Amino acid sequence: MEAIKIDNITLEYKSNNNSIVRAVDNVSLTVNEGEFIALVGHNGSGKSTLAKLLNGLLIPRLGDVKIYGTSTRDKAKIFEIRKNIGMVFQNPDNQMIASIVEDDIAFGPENLGIERNEIIRRVDWALEKVGMSEHRKSTPFKMSGGQKQRLAIAGILAIKPSIIVFDESTAMLDPEGRREVLAVAHELNKNENITVILITHYMDEAVNADRVVVMNRGKIVSDGTPSEVFAHKDLLESLHLTLPLPTSIAHNLGRLGIPISSDILTEEQLEEELCKVLK
Amino acid sequence: MRDIAFGQYYPTGSPIHRLDPRAKLVFSLLYMVFIFFAKSYVAYLAIFTFIVGVTLISKVPFRALLKSVKIILVLLIFTGLLNLFMYRDGNILGEWWIFRITDKGVDFSIKIMLRLSFLIVGTSMLTFTTTPTEMTDGIEWLLNPLKYIKIPVHDIALTMSIALRFIPSLMEETDKIIMAQKARGAAFDTGKLHERAKSLIPILIPLFVSALRRADELADALDARCYNATPHRTKMKKLAFSYRDAIAFLILASLICFIMVDAYYFTQFVPVGHIASGLDYYVFSWISGLIA
Repeated sequence: MEAIKIDNITLEYKSNNNSIVRAVDNVSLTVNEGEFIALVGHNGSGKSTLAKLLNGLLIPRLGDVKIYGTSTRDKAKIFEIRKNIGMVFQNPDNQMIASIVEDDIAFGPENLGIERNEIIRRVDWALEKVGMSEHRKSTPFKMSGGQKQRLAIAGILAIKPSIIVFDESTAMLDPEGRREVLAVAHELNKNENITVILITHYMDEAVNADRVVVMNRGKIVSDGTPSEVFAHKDLLESLHLTLPLPTSIAHNLGRLGIPISSDILTEEQLEEELCKVLK
Repeated sequence: MRDIAFGQYYPTGSPIHRLDPRAKLVFSLLYMVFIFFAKSYVAYLAIFTFIVGVTLISKVPFRALLKSVKIILVLLIFTGLLNLFMYRDGNILGEWWIFRITDKGVDFSIKIMLRLSFLIVGTSMLTFTTTPTEMTDGIEWLLNPLKYIKIPVHDIALTMSIALRFIPSLMEETDKIIMAQKARGAAFDTGKLHERAKSLIPILIPLFVSALRRADELADALDARCYNATPHRTKMKKLAFSYRDAIAFLILASLICFIMVDAYYFTQFVPVGHIASGLDYYVFSWISGLIA
Protein backbone atom coordinates (compact mmCIF):
# COMPACT_ATOMS: atom_id res chain seq x y z
CA MET A 1 0.00 0.00 0.00
CA GLU A 2 1.24 3.48 -0.84
CA ALA A 3 1.73 5.47 2.34
CA ILE A 4 3.17 8.59 0.72
CA LYS A 5 2.91 9.65 -2.89
CA ILE A 6 4.87 12.69 -3.93
CA ASP A 7 4.01 13.80 -7.43
CA ASN A 8 6.25 16.27 -9.28
CA ILE A 9 6.49 18.81 -6.47
CA THR A 10 8.40 22.06 -6.69
CA LEU A 11 8.89 24.72 -4.04
CA GLU A 12 11.08 27.80 -4.05
CA TYR A 13 12.04 30.23 -1.35
CA LYS A 14 13.74 33.58 -1.31
CA SER A 15 17.29 33.47 -0.03
CA ASN A 16 18.99 36.25 1.93
CA ASN A 17 20.28 38.06 -1.15
CA ASN A 18 16.79 38.03 -2.69
CA SER A 19 17.58 35.43 -5.30
CA ILE A 20 15.07 32.61 -5.69
CA VAL A 21 16.31 29.22 -4.58
CA ARG A 22 14.51 26.10 -5.71
CA ALA A 23 14.61 24.00 -2.55
CA VAL A 24 12.63 21.12 -4.01
CA ASP A 25 12.82 20.76 -7.77
CA ASN A 26 10.31 18.54 -9.53
CA VAL A 27 10.58 15.66 -7.07
CA SER A 28 8.52 12.49 -7.27
CA LEU A 29 8.72 9.72 -4.73
CA THR A 30 6.50 6.90 -3.57
CA VAL A 31 6.86 5.36 -0.14
CA ASN A 32 5.18 2.07 0.63
CA GLU A 33 3.67 1.21 3.95
CA GLY A 34 6.14 -0.36 6.37
CA GLU A 35 9.23 0.83 4.53
CA PHE A 36 12.27 2.26 6.30
CA ILE A 37 13.66 4.98 4.11
CA ALA A 38 16.84 6.96 4.71
CA LEU A 39 16.77 10.34 3.01
CA VAL A 40 20.33 11.58 2.80
CA GLY A 41 21.88 14.70 1.43
CA HIS A 42 24.29 17.46 2.23
CA ASN A 43 23.22 20.70 3.95
CA GLY A 44 20.95 22.65 1.65
CA SER A 45 20.04 19.64 -0.47
CA GLY A 46 16.35 20.24 0.24
CA LYS A 47 15.78 17.20 2.43
CA SER A 48 14.36 19.14 5.39
CA THR A 49 12.13 21.18 3.12
CA LEU A 50 10.86 17.92 1.69
CA ALA A 51 10.09 16.74 5.23
CA LYS A 52 7.99 19.84 5.97
CA LEU A 53 6.13 19.31 2.71
CA LEU A 54 5.06 15.88 3.91
CA ASN A 55 2.78 16.97 6.76
CA GLY A 56 1.57 20.21 5.29
CA LEU A 57 3.83 22.55 7.25
CA LEU A 58 4.72 23.69 3.74
CA ILE A 59 2.54 23.34 0.65
CA PRO A 60 4.24 22.74 -2.73
CA ARG A 61 3.88 25.42 -5.39
CA LEU A 62 3.54 22.80 -8.10
CA GLY A 63 2.59 19.17 -7.79
CA ASP A 64 0.91 17.27 -5.03
CA VAL A 65 1.79 15.37 -1.84
CA LYS A 66 -0.64 12.64 -0.86
CA ILE A 67 -0.61 10.81 2.47
CA TYR A 68 -2.74 7.69 2.20
CA GLY A 69 -4.52 9.33 -0.70
CA THR A 70 -5.23 12.65 1.05
CA SER A 71 -3.60 15.70 -0.49
CA THR A 72 -1.84 18.15 1.84
CA ARG A 73 -3.59 20.89 -0.11
CA ASP A 74 -6.89 19.82 1.42
CA LYS A 75 -7.10 22.27 4.34
CA ALA A 76 -10.11 20.54 5.85
CA LYS A 77 -8.16 17.31 6.23
CA ILE A 78 -4.84 18.72 7.40
CA PHE A 79 -5.21 17.25 10.90
CA GLU A 80 -6.05 13.86 9.46
CA ILE A 81 -2.71 14.04 7.68
CA ARG A 82 -0.83 15.21 10.76
CA LYS A 83 -2.40 12.43 12.76
CA ASN A 84 -1.09 9.96 10.19
CA ILE A 85 2.39 11.36 9.82
CA GLY A 86 4.31 12.33 12.92
CA MET A 87 7.47 14.36 12.83
CA VAL A 88 10.47 14.42 15.15
CA PHE A 89 12.70 17.45 14.74
CA GLN A 90 16.36 18.18 15.29
CA ASN A 91 16.50 19.95 18.64
CA PRO A 92 14.69 18.00 21.36
CA ASP A 93 14.54 21.08 23.60
CA ASN A 94 12.44 22.96 21.09
CA GLN A 95 9.79 20.27 20.80
CA MET A 96 8.81 20.05 24.43
CA ILE A 97 5.95 22.18 25.63
CA ALA A 98 5.54 21.01 29.24
CA SER A 99 7.96 20.76 32.14
CA ILE A 100 6.80 17.29 33.17
CA VAL A 101 7.39 14.29 30.91
CA GLU A 102 3.89 12.79 31.00
CA ASP A 103 2.22 16.16 30.44
CA ASP A 104 4.32 16.70 27.37
CA ILE A 105 3.52 13.30 25.89
CA ALA A 106 -0.19 13.79 26.56
CA PHE A 107 -0.16 17.03 24.55
CA GLY A 108 -0.76 15.40 21.14
CA PRO A 109 -3.68 13.16 22.15
CA GLU A 110 -5.19 16.03 24.18
CA ASN A 111 -5.16 18.15 21.03
CA LEU A 112 -7.04 15.42 19.22
CA GLY A 113 -9.72 15.34 21.91
CA ILE A 114 -9.07 11.74 22.87
CA GLU A 115 -10.82 10.34 25.90
CA ARG A 116 -8.92 10.59 29.19
CA ASN A 117 -8.33 6.92 29.97
CA GLU A 118 -7.16 6.30 26.44
CA ILE A 119 -4.65 9.18 26.80
CA ILE A 120 -3.24 7.59 29.93
CA ARG A 121 -2.96 4.23 28.13
CA ARG A 122 -1.19 5.89 25.21
CA VAL A 123 1.26 7.75 27.45
CA ASP A 124 2.13 4.46 29.20
CA TRP A 125 2.53 2.68 25.88
CA ALA A 126 4.59 5.44 24.24
CA LEU A 127 6.96 5.71 27.21
CA GLU A 128 7.43 1.97 27.27
CA LYS A 129 8.16 1.87 23.53
CA VAL A 130 11.01 4.36 23.91
CA GLY A 131 12.22 2.79 27.15
CA MET A 132 11.55 5.82 29.37
CA SER A 133 8.76 4.51 31.59
CA GLU A 134 10.58 5.26 34.83
CA HIS A 135 10.91 8.95 33.91
CA ARG A 136 7.18 9.53 33.64
CA LYS A 137 6.94 12.14 36.39
CA SER A 138 10.38 13.72 36.00
CA THR A 139 11.39 16.86 34.25
CA PRO A 140 13.51 16.63 31.09
CA PHE A 141 15.93 19.48 31.89
CA LYS A 142 18.71 17.33 33.26
CA MET A 143 18.37 14.48 30.78
CA SER A 144 20.83 13.57 28.02
CA GLY A 145 20.14 14.53 24.42
CA GLY A 146 19.32 10.94 23.53
CA GLN A 147 16.81 10.64 26.36
CA LYS A 148 15.15 13.95 25.46
CA GLN A 149 14.90 12.92 21.83
CA ARG A 150 13.33 9.60 22.84
CA LEU A 151 10.75 11.59 24.79
CA ALA A 152 10.08 13.66 21.68
CA ILE A 153 9.49 10.38 19.83
CA ALA A 154 7.12 9.24 22.58
CA GLY A 155 5.23 12.53 22.19
CA ILE A 156 4.72 11.70 18.52
CA LEU A 157 3.94 8.03 19.17
CA ALA A 158 1.08 9.02 21.49
CA ILE A 159 -0.69 10.42 18.41
CA LYS A 160 -0.46 6.89 16.93
CA PRO A 161 0.82 7.84 13.50
CA SER A 162 1.36 5.30 10.72
CA ILE A 163 4.38 7.22 9.44
CA ILE A 164 7.14 8.96 11.40
CA VAL A 165 9.57 11.39 9.81
CA PHE A 166 12.83 11.93 11.69
CA ASP A 167 14.03 15.31 10.45
CA GLU A 168 17.74 15.19 11.31
CA SER A 169 16.75 14.00 14.75
CA THR A 170 20.20 12.57 15.38
CA ALA A 171 22.21 15.57 14.19
CA MET A 172 22.60 17.20 17.61
CA LEU A 173 23.23 14.01 19.58
CA ASP A 174 26.40 12.30 20.76
CA PRO A 175 27.15 8.81 19.37
CA GLU A 176 25.38 7.14 22.29
CA GLY A 177 22.25 9.27 21.80
CA ARG A 178 22.31 8.62 18.05
CA ARG A 179 22.43 4.90 18.66
CA GLU A 180 19.49 5.06 21.09
CA VAL A 181 17.31 7.05 18.69
CA LEU A 182 18.16 4.83 15.72
CA ALA A 183 17.40 1.71 17.72
CA VAL A 184 13.97 3.12 18.62
CA ALA A 185 13.30 4.05 14.98
CA HIS A 186 14.13 0.53 13.78
CA GLU A 187 12.18 -1.09 16.58
CA LEU A 188 9.06 0.93 15.72
CA ASN A 189 9.46 0.08 12.05
CA LYS A 190 9.82 -3.63 12.71
CA ASN A 191 7.38 -4.25 15.56
CA GLU A 192 4.76 -1.53 15.16
CA ASN A 193 4.86 -1.54 11.36
CA ILE A 194 5.40 2.21 11.31
CA THR A 195 6.72 3.62 8.04
CA VAL A 196 9.92 5.51 8.83
CA ILE A 197 11.59 8.29 6.89
CA LEU A 198 14.95 9.01 8.46
CA ILE A 199 16.51 12.23 7.25
CA THR A 200 20.22 12.42 7.95
CA HIS A 201 23.59 13.37 6.59
CA TYR A 202 25.35 10.46 8.29
CA MET A 203 25.60 7.72 5.68
CA ASP A 204 26.23 5.04 8.29
CA GLU A 205 22.69 5.61 9.62
CA ALA A 206 21.38 4.66 6.19
CA VAL A 207 23.00 1.23 6.23
CA ASN A 208 20.09 -0.61 7.80
CA ALA A 209 17.38 1.13 5.80
CA ASP A 210 15.27 -0.70 3.23
CA ARG A 211 15.86 2.08 0.78
CA VAL A 212 18.20 5.05 0.51
CA VAL A 213 17.17 8.21 -1.29
CA VAL A 214 19.91 10.74 -2.02
CA MET A 215 19.06 14.39 -2.62
CA ASN A 216 21.16 17.16 -4.03
CA ARG A 217 20.12 20.70 -4.91
CA GLY A 218 16.45 19.88 -4.58
CA LYS A 219 16.53 16.82 -6.82
CA ILE A 220 16.62 13.11 -6.10
CA VAL A 221 19.90 11.88 -7.56
CA SER A 222 19.87 8.28 -6.39
CA ASP A 223 17.23 5.91 -5.05
CA GLY A 224 17.68 2.23 -4.23
CA THR A 225 18.78 -0.29 -1.63
CA PRO A 226 21.80 0.74 0.46
CA SER A 227 24.11 -1.51 -1.60
CA GLU A 228 22.82 -0.11 -4.87
CA VAL A 229 23.23 3.46 -3.74
CA PHE A 230 26.62 2.97 -2.10
CA ALA A 231 27.92 1.41 -5.32
CA HIS A 232 27.98 4.91 -6.81
CA LYS A 233 30.91 5.92 -4.68
CA ASP A 234 32.08 8.74 -6.94
CA LEU A 235 28.66 10.33 -7.17
CA LEU A 236 28.28 10.28 -3.37
CA GLU A 237 31.72 11.73 -2.85
CA SER A 238 31.02 14.52 -5.31
CA LEU A 239 28.04 15.36 -3.07
CA HIS A 240 30.28 15.45 0.03
CA LEU A 241 28.65 12.34 1.42
CA THR A 242 31.09 9.88 2.94
CA LEU A 243 30.38 6.18 2.67
CA PRO A 244 30.15 4.13 5.86
CA LEU A 245 33.65 3.06 6.87
CA PRO A 246 33.32 -0.71 6.07
CA THR A 247 31.87 0.05 2.61
CA SER A 248 34.60 2.56 1.96
CA ILE A 249 37.34 0.08 2.96
CA ALA A 250 35.85 -2.59 0.69
CA HIS A 251 35.71 -0.15 -2.23
CA ASN A 252 39.30 0.92 -1.74
CA LEU A 253 40.52 -2.69 -1.45
CA GLY A 254 38.64 -3.50 -4.64
CA ARG A 255 40.35 -0.61 -6.37
CA LEU A 256 43.71 -2.07 -5.31
CA GLY A 257 42.83 -5.27 -7.18
CA ILE A 258 41.87 -7.38 -4.17
CA PRO A 259 38.91 -9.61 -5.12
CA ILE A 260 36.42 -8.42 -2.49
CA SER A 261 32.72 -7.85 -2.86
CA SER A 262 31.83 -4.17 -3.04
CA ASP A 263 28.43 -4.98 -1.56
CA ILE A 264 29.46 -4.48 2.05
CA LEU A 265 27.60 -2.39 4.59
CA THR A 266 28.57 -3.49 8.08
CA GLU A 267 31.73 -4.35 9.96
CA GLU A 268 30.60 -7.97 10.28
CA GLN A 269 30.18 -8.34 6.52
CA LEU A 270 33.61 -6.82 5.97
CA GLU A 271 35.15 -9.18 8.49
CA GLU A 272 33.58 -12.17 6.78
CA GLU A 273 34.68 -11.07 3.30
CA LEU A 274 38.22 -10.40 4.46
CA CYS A 275 38.43 -13.87 6.02
CA LYS A 276 37.27 -15.37 2.70
CA VAL A 277 39.91 -13.41 0.78
CA LEU A 278 42.70 -14.34 3.19
CA LYS A 279 41.93 -18.08 3.13
CA MET B 1 21.63 34.23 37.60
CA ARG B 2 20.58 30.90 39.06
CA ASP B 3 19.22 32.33 42.29
CA ILE B 4 15.86 33.44 40.99
CA ALA B 5 13.43 31.87 43.40
CA PHE B 6 10.47 32.60 41.15
CA GLY B 7 8.63 29.50 40.09
CA GLN B 8 10.81 27.25 42.17
CA TYR B 9 8.93 24.15 43.04
CA TYR B 10 9.72 22.22 46.23
CA PRO B 11 8.43 18.69 45.71
CA THR B 12 7.69 17.38 49.20
CA GLY B 13 4.30 15.80 48.48
CA SER B 14 2.73 17.50 51.52
CA PRO B 15 -1.04 18.01 51.94
CA ILE B 16 -0.54 21.60 50.76
CA HIS B 17 1.03 20.32 47.54
CA ARG B 18 -1.93 18.02 47.03
CA LEU B 19 -4.51 20.78 47.29
CA ASP B 20 -6.33 21.48 44.05
CA PRO B 21 -4.41 24.17 42.13
CA ARG B 22 -7.64 26.07 41.45
CA ALA B 23 -8.38 26.14 45.18
CA LYS B 24 -4.81 27.24 45.90
CA LEU B 25 -5.08 30.07 43.38
CA VAL B 26 -8.37 31.28 44.83
CA PHE B 27 -7.02 30.98 48.40
CA SER B 28 -3.94 32.99 47.47
CA LEU B 29 -6.10 35.69 45.92
CA LEU B 30 -8.32 35.83 49.01
CA TYR B 31 -5.26 35.92 51.24
CA MET B 32 -3.71 38.72 49.20
CA VAL B 33 -6.87 40.79 49.33
CA PHE B 34 -7.65 40.27 53.00
CA ILE B 35 -4.24 40.95 54.46
CA PHE B 36 -4.89 44.52 53.36
CA PHE B 37 -7.84 44.62 55.74
CA ALA B 38 -5.75 43.68 58.76
CA LYS B 39 -5.62 46.64 61.15
CA SER B 40 -4.17 45.55 64.48
CA TYR B 41 -0.96 43.82 65.49
CA VAL B 42 -3.09 41.03 66.89
CA ALA B 43 -4.42 40.45 63.36
CA TYR B 44 -0.86 40.50 62.01
CA LEU B 45 0.11 37.96 64.62
CA ALA B 46 -2.77 35.78 63.43
CA ILE B 47 -1.57 36.02 59.82
CA PHE B 48 1.96 35.23 60.96
CA THR B 49 0.76 32.14 62.83
CA PHE B 50 -1.21 31.10 59.77
CA ILE B 51 1.82 31.41 57.48
CA VAL B 52 4.10 29.55 59.89
CA GLY B 53 1.48 26.80 60.16
CA VAL B 54 1.15 26.51 56.38
CA THR B 55 4.92 26.41 56.00
CA LEU B 56 5.27 23.67 58.61
CA ILE B 57 2.61 21.55 56.92
CA SER B 58 4.10 22.15 53.46
CA LYS B 59 7.60 21.13 54.64
CA VAL B 60 9.05 23.93 52.52
CA PRO B 61 12.22 25.13 54.31
CA PHE B 62 11.84 28.50 56.05
CA ARG B 63 15.03 29.78 54.46
CA ALA B 64 13.36 29.45 51.03
CA LEU B 65 10.65 31.83 52.22
CA LEU B 66 13.20 34.19 53.75
CA LYS B 67 15.00 34.20 50.43
CA SER B 68 11.89 35.45 48.67
CA VAL B 69 11.59 38.24 51.27
CA LYS B 70 15.23 39.08 50.63
CA ILE B 71 14.46 39.69 46.96
CA ILE B 72 12.13 42.56 47.86
CA LEU B 73 14.23 43.76 50.82
CA VAL B 74 15.24 47.02 49.12
CA LEU B 75 11.66 47.78 48.20
CA LEU B 76 10.62 46.90 51.74
CA ILE B 77 13.11 49.23 53.41
CA PHE B 78 12.41 52.02 50.93
CA THR B 79 8.65 51.83 51.49
CA GLY B 80 9.16 51.65 55.24
CA LEU B 81 11.44 54.69 55.37
CA LEU B 82 9.27 56.71 53.01
CA ASN B 83 6.21 56.14 55.18
CA LEU B 84 8.19 56.74 58.34
CA PHE B 85 9.43 60.16 57.27
CA MET B 86 6.52 61.35 55.17
CA TYR B 87 3.54 60.47 57.37
CA ARG B 88 2.01 63.75 58.49
CA ASP B 89 -0.64 62.82 61.11
CA GLY B 90 -0.17 61.92 64.74
CA ASN B 91 1.96 63.07 67.65
CA ILE B 92 5.31 64.36 66.45
CA LEU B 93 8.25 62.38 67.85
CA GLY B 94 10.95 64.24 65.94
CA GLU B 95 11.27 66.70 63.06
CA TRP B 96 14.10 67.70 60.72
CA TRP B 97 13.86 69.75 57.50
CA ILE B 98 10.96 68.22 55.52
CA PHE B 99 11.07 64.97 57.48
CA ARG B 100 8.76 64.34 60.37
CA ILE B 101 8.46 61.23 62.44
CA THR B 102 5.14 60.72 64.16
CA ASP B 103 3.87 57.87 66.31
CA LYS B 104 1.27 57.04 63.67
CA GLY B 105 4.02 57.10 61.03
CA VAL B 106 6.05 54.53 62.95
CA ASP B 107 2.96 52.40 63.39
CA PHE B 108 2.01 52.70 59.72
CA SER B 109 5.45 51.95 58.31
CA ILE B 110 5.90 48.84 60.47
CA LYS B 111 2.52 47.59 59.34
CA ILE B 112 3.18 48.26 55.67
CA MET B 113 6.45 46.35 55.84
CA LEU B 114 4.73 43.43 57.55
CA ARG B 115 1.99 43.51 54.94
CA LEU B 116 4.43 43.40 52.01
CA SER B 117 6.42 40.58 53.60
CA PHE B 118 3.27 38.54 54.19
CA LEU B 119 2.22 39.21 50.62
CA ILE B 120 5.46 37.93 49.11
CA VAL B 121 5.68 34.96 51.48
CA GLY B 122 2.10 33.95 50.70
CA THR B 123 2.54 34.12 46.95
CA SER B 124 5.89 32.31 47.10
CA MET B 125 4.12 29.58 49.04
CA LEU B 126 1.88 29.14 46.01
CA THR B 127 4.78 28.74 43.58
CA PHE B 128 6.71 26.53 46.01
CA THR B 129 3.87 24.05 46.28
CA THR B 130 2.33 24.14 42.78
CA THR B 131 3.97 22.88 39.58
CA PRO B 132 3.87 25.26 36.61
CA THR B 133 1.57 22.83 34.80
CA GLU B 134 -0.89 22.72 37.68
CA MET B 135 -0.74 26.48 37.89
CA THR B 136 -1.57 26.99 34.22
CA ASP B 137 -4.33 24.38 34.44
CA GLY B 138 -5.75 26.27 37.41
CA ILE B 139 -5.51 29.63 35.70
CA GLU B 140 -7.11 28.19 32.58
CA TRP B 141 -10.04 26.98 34.65
CA LEU B 142 -10.40 30.30 36.45
CA LEU B 143 -10.33 32.22 33.16
CA ASN B 144 -12.77 29.82 31.53
CA PRO B 145 -15.76 32.21 31.64
CA LEU B 146 -13.80 34.52 29.33
CA LYS B 147 -14.23 31.92 26.58
CA TYR B 148 -17.74 33.22 26.08
CA ILE B 149 -16.42 36.60 25.04
CA LYS B 150 -14.12 34.87 22.53
CA ILE B 151 -10.90 35.18 24.49
CA PRO B 152 -8.58 32.26 23.59
CA VAL B 153 -8.14 31.08 27.18
CA HIS B 154 -6.41 27.85 26.28
CA ASP B 155 -3.89 29.62 24.04
CA ILE B 156 -3.08 32.02 26.86
CA ALA B 157 -2.60 29.15 29.29
CA LEU B 158 -0.39 27.25 26.84
CA THR B 159 1.68 30.37 26.19
CA MET B 160 2.22 30.71 29.93
CA SER B 161 3.24 27.11 30.40
CA ILE B 162 5.64 27.32 27.45
CA ALA B 163 7.13 30.51 28.87
CA LEU B 164 7.75 28.75 32.19
CA ARG B 165 9.08 25.68 30.41
CA PHE B 166 11.66 27.76 28.51
CA ILE B 167 13.02 29.73 31.48
CA PRO B 168 15.68 27.09 32.30
CA SER B 169 16.55 26.59 28.61
CA LEU B 170 17.07 30.29 28.06
CA MET B 171 19.08 30.64 31.28
CA GLU B 172 21.37 27.86 30.12
CA GLU B 173 21.68 29.59 26.77
CA THR B 174 22.53 32.91 28.47
CA ASP B 175 25.27 31.22 30.49
CA LYS B 176 26.71 29.71 27.30
CA ILE B 177 26.67 33.05 25.49
CA ILE B 178 28.30 34.81 28.45
CA MET B 179 31.06 32.21 28.50
CA ALA B 180 31.52 32.41 24.73
CA GLN B 181 31.82 36.20 24.86
CA LYS B 182 34.16 36.04 27.86
CA ALA B 183 36.34 33.60 25.91
CA ARG B 184 36.59 36.30 23.26
CA GLY B 185 37.75 38.80 25.86
CA ALA B 186 34.51 40.56 26.74
CA ALA B 187 34.46 42.18 30.18
CA PHE B 188 31.10 42.29 31.90
CA ASP B 189 31.88 43.28 35.45
CA THR B 190 34.34 46.13 35.03
CA GLY B 191 33.99 49.70 33.83
CA LYS B 192 31.45 52.42 34.42
CA LEU B 193 27.77 51.70 34.63
CA HIS B 194 26.98 52.72 31.04
CA GLU B 195 29.96 50.69 29.79
CA ARG B 196 28.65 47.68 31.64
CA ALA B 197 25.19 48.20 30.25
CA LYS B 198 26.70 48.42 26.77
CA SER B 199 28.61 45.20 27.30
CA LEU B 200 25.26 43.42 27.67
CA ILE B 201 24.43 44.00 24.01
CA PRO B 202 26.63 41.12 22.77
CA ILE B 203 24.68 38.87 25.15
CA LEU B 204 21.20 40.12 24.39
CA ILE B 205 21.41 40.04 20.60
CA PRO B 206 22.44 36.37 20.28
CA LEU B 207 19.93 35.50 22.99
CA PHE B 208 17.08 37.12 21.08
CA VAL B 209 18.15 35.57 17.79
CA SER B 210 18.20 32.15 19.37
CA ALA B 211 14.90 32.69 21.18
CA LEU B 212 13.23 33.61 17.90
CA ARG B 213 14.75 30.58 16.18
CA ARG B 214 13.49 28.37 18.98
CA ALA B 215 10.03 29.91 18.70
CA ASP B 216 10.01 29.08 15.01
CA GLU B 217 10.94 25.46 15.57
CA LEU B 218 8.50 25.17 18.45
CA ALA B 219 5.69 26.44 16.23
CA ASP B 220 6.43 23.66 13.72
CA ALA B 221 6.54 21.10 16.52
CA LEU B 222 3.16 22.31 17.86
CA ASP B 223 1.64 22.01 14.39
CA ALA B 224 3.16 18.57 13.89
CA ARG B 225 1.47 17.49 17.13
CA CYS B 226 -1.95 18.53 15.87
CA TYR B 227 -2.30 21.70 17.92
CA ASN B 228 -5.79 23.18 17.41
CA ALA B 229 -7.03 20.00 15.75
CA THR B 230 -10.30 20.22 17.63
CA PRO B 231 -12.04 22.84 19.73
CA HIS B 232 -12.94 20.00 22.12
CA ARG B 233 -9.55 19.43 23.65
CA THR B 234 -9.39 16.83 26.38
CA LYS B 235 -7.18 16.77 29.46
CA MET B 236 -5.18 13.88 30.82
CA LYS B 237 -5.03 15.31 34.30
CA LYS B 238 -8.42 15.98 35.72
CA LEU B 239 -8.61 18.54 38.47
CA ALA B 240 -10.78 17.44 41.35
CA PHE B 241 -11.67 19.23 44.56
CA SER B 242 -11.41 17.08 47.67
CA TYR B 243 -12.12 17.29 51.39
CA ARG B 244 -8.61 18.76 51.81
CA ASP B 245 -9.65 21.86 49.87
CA ALA B 246 -12.69 22.26 52.09
CA ILE B 247 -10.60 22.02 55.28
CA ALA B 248 -8.06 24.49 53.90
CA PHE B 249 -10.89 26.83 52.98
CA LEU B 250 -12.36 26.67 56.49
CA ILE B 251 -9.01 27.51 58.04
CA LEU B 252 -8.47 30.43 55.67
CA ALA B 253 -12.06 31.59 56.18
CA SER B 254 -11.59 31.70 59.96
CA LEU B 255 -8.45 33.78 59.50
CA ILE B 256 -10.37 36.17 57.26
CA CYS B 257 -13.26 36.36 59.75
CA PHE B 258 -10.82 37.11 62.54
CA ILE B 259 -9.21 39.92 60.49
CA MET B 260 -12.59 41.43 59.60
CA VAL B 261 -14.09 41.19 63.09
CA ASP B 262 -10.96 42.71 64.53
CA ALA B 263 -10.91 45.53 61.99
CA TYR B 264 -14.60 46.42 61.95
CA TYR B 265 -16.15 45.21 65.18
CA PHE B 266 -13.52 45.74 67.87
CA THR B 267 -12.19 48.96 66.39
CA GLN B 268 -15.44 50.77 67.22
CA PHE B 269 -14.74 50.36 70.94
CA VAL B 270 -11.36 52.06 70.72
CA PRO B 271 -11.63 55.61 72.15
CA VAL B 272 -11.28 58.40 69.57
CA GLY B 273 -7.72 59.65 69.28
CA HIS B 274 -6.20 56.46 70.65
CA ILE B 275 -3.42 55.12 68.44
CA ALA B 276 -4.27 51.43 68.86
CA SER B 277 -6.78 49.74 66.61
CA GLY B 278 -8.90 46.63 66.97
CA LEU B 279 -7.87 44.13 69.59
CA ASP B 280 -4.58 45.97 70.13
CA TYR B 281 -6.47 48.35 72.41
CA TYR B 282 -7.56 45.50 74.69
CA VAL B 283 -4.06 44.01 74.75
CA PHE B 284 -2.74 47.50 75.47
CA SER B 285 -5.23 48.07 78.30
CA TRP B 286 -4.57 44.62 79.71
CA ILE B 287 -0.79 45.17 79.76
CA SER B 288 -1.15 48.66 81.32
CA GLY B 289 -3.51 47.07 83.86
CA LEU B 290 -0.84 44.51 84.72
CA ILE B 291 1.79 47.21 85.15
CA ALA B 292 -0.52 49.37 87.26
